[in-house]
Amino acid sequence: MARVLDTPTPSTPPPPARSLRQTPWVRWGAPLLLVAALAVLPLVGTESFNDTLARIGVFAVAVLGLNVVMGYTGQVSLGQIFFLGLGAYVTAYGVQQGWNVVLVFVLACLLPAVAGLLVALAAARLGGLAIAMVTIALPIVGVPLAKRLSEFTGGSQGLSARFTDAPEGSGLYDDQFQLYLVLGIGGVVFLLTACLVRGKYGRAFAIVKDNENVASSMGISPYRYKVLAFTIASLIGGVSGFLYMVVVQYTSPETMSFGHSIELLVAMVIGGAGSIAGSLLGGVFYVVVPDLTNAVDPSLTSLLQGALLLLVLFLLPGGLVSLPRALARRLRRSPAGRGSAAPPTPPSSTPGSATAAERPQTERQGHA
Amino acid sequence: MEKFVQLVVDGLSTGSVYAALALAIVLVHSATGLINFAQGGLAVLAAYVAWVLTNQGLPVGLAIVAAILVSFVLGAVVERYLIRRFERGDPDTAVVVTIGLLTLVTGVAGWIWGYNNQQFPSLFPLDTVSLLGVSVSIRSLGTTAVIVVAMVLLQVLFVRTKIGLALRAVAINPQSAAFSGLPVGRLLMVGWGLAAALGAVAGTLVAPQLTLTPGMLDNALVYALAAVILGGLTSPVGVVVAAWIIGVLENLAAVYVGFIGFDLKVAVPFILIFVVLLVRPQGLFGRKTVVRV
Repeated sequence: MARVLDTPTPSTPPPPARSLRQTPWVRWGAPLLLVAALAVLPLVGTESFNDTLARIGVFAVAVLGLNVVMGYTGQVSLGQIFFLGLGAYVTAYGVQQGWNVVLVFVLACLLPAVAGLLVALAAARLGGLAIAMVTIALPIVGVPLAKRLSEFTGGSQGLSARFTDAPEGSGLYDDQFQLYLVLGIGGVVFLLTACLVRGKYGRAFAIVKDNENVASSMGISPYRYKVLAFTIASLIGGVSGFLYMVVVQYTSPETMSFGHSIELLVAMVIGGAGSIAGSLLGGVFYVVVPDLTNAVDPSLTSLLQGALLLLVLFLLPGGLVSLPRALARRLRRSPAGRGSAAPPTPPSSTPGSATAAERPQTERQGHA
Repeated sequence: MEKFVQLVVDGLSTGSVYAALALAIVLVHSATGLINFAQGGLAVLAAYVAWVLTNQGLPVGLAIVAAILVSFVLGAVVERYLIRRFERGDPDTAVVVTIGLLTLVTGVAGWIWGYNNQQFPSLFPLDTVSLLGVSVSIRSLGTTAVIVVAMVLLQVLFVRTKIGLALRAVAINPQSAAFSGLPVGRLLMVGWGLAAALGAVAGTLVAPQLTLTPGMLDNALVYALAAVILGGLTSPVGVVVAAWIIGVLENLAAVYVGFIGFDLKVAVPFILIFVVLLVRPQGLFGRKTVVRV
């Protein structure tokens, strides 16, 4: 919304950028370039770099799932990590039983989706916040449950499964092969989700998030779309669980602990709620920040995450993904402020920039 | 039979702890319309304050009272400087704020006092007394009694005092309250302070049993939220009753239902919720809200 209103206002610098973005060469070339870069990346990185990148991919997918239900549909879910854990366990169990990998993948998607559907059918009956209050139970019940069902889960010891060694003759190292898998599957999930939230269902989700009464008056059942969003989020969580096993090759009850679930939510909000690119940033945050703080002082991780989350909510409610836009707005506003003293700067900016400067403010008051 | 009575009494005592937390959540919700996921975290902080004070040589009772006062101030400060900014906006954002607060508070406690379990001295002796021929633990009886007294005091405050009337007015309609000259902001601070103080009672009383860690009340928070859902957000009495039901049921299920056992008893309230949701979506005692579009 803010972006639509912003586009007519900029005076000089953006037009070339816009026209550049609209030329067919750039529109088709840029994604191709990105794909090419991602295809080469695993070959040039060191092993630890590849591993970090793959873990970022795994958790970016998990954050993306959370974003579908929370960022796009506005239902706070504290249980996303449970579906990651479930997907990981299904994968580990299937591999240990020697099932076909494709079948394992399908099961790792389907079982979490079914579990999510069942939870959502009950939880979505309650008003908004109650979903958060019910889903908080998923990781808290999930950990002892995983310990209890030890014939499937290996109890506290956990399960390990090695099934992603690079195939013979491919000339790839294991970490390169794993990164390719993550990039491939994760990329497809991102693409599909991007289509989903931009299309018919995405608009329905947005209405449900914005105002449930309006939604139902338009024939969109909030209940049904909440359940749908939650189920899709669980399915994506299952995919991320599969990818987790691809990269980490080991899972234990600790994988789906309450703390991790909170961290996932923190990562999503800091990356940017309701944004595809924000999910990627969330994945980066989830993986990189603990790595950094552990290097300094492991007991600081939780403190830093909480402080960062509150800071972001105060200063940048849209998350890191909105940082460029917020900076651009600030830059544009500051010359306009001084411009009233020194008369004619750019002629077009006077009426337009005033609305552009006020618009985000009112919007922020409404939302934050 | 004796075992059964013991289980029920112990269940009532843990149920009281959940009830206090749940009541604090309801208090905050009625004042500011949001669910405070940091309620347990703040209570843990209070328990740590009391623990530090007892290590300084203060008697346990005094340390707990001091921690309750500190919590009151802390709750009021949190409302004024953190929550106030998000109160009128999107409730989902406000919930995320409280989750951030929970992470922050847990992090602060872990950073200062570490993540190892600490022994917290009990306010009550660890003996048992004979009650109607059955021996029950004094600690369970004492915990229940203290929390019931705290809740009764709170009720008296709300119903019988002028400040209680003002608090209720602000909860019902902040705008009208402001028009009739009530200091809404300060009353909201008092509401949050009272909730934090009630949480502190729960935290310090349960700390000897759970041993003190930064995540000590994560499970209790889940139980409290379950009680809030079961009782209905609009019904303090319902919430307390639901918390007691949960406390007793989970104790009984842990012992008498083989599959559940002690490790899975946290699932009991949620099985209960699923059943209740299918039958009475507004909660056991809650009223159905009708929204005019």
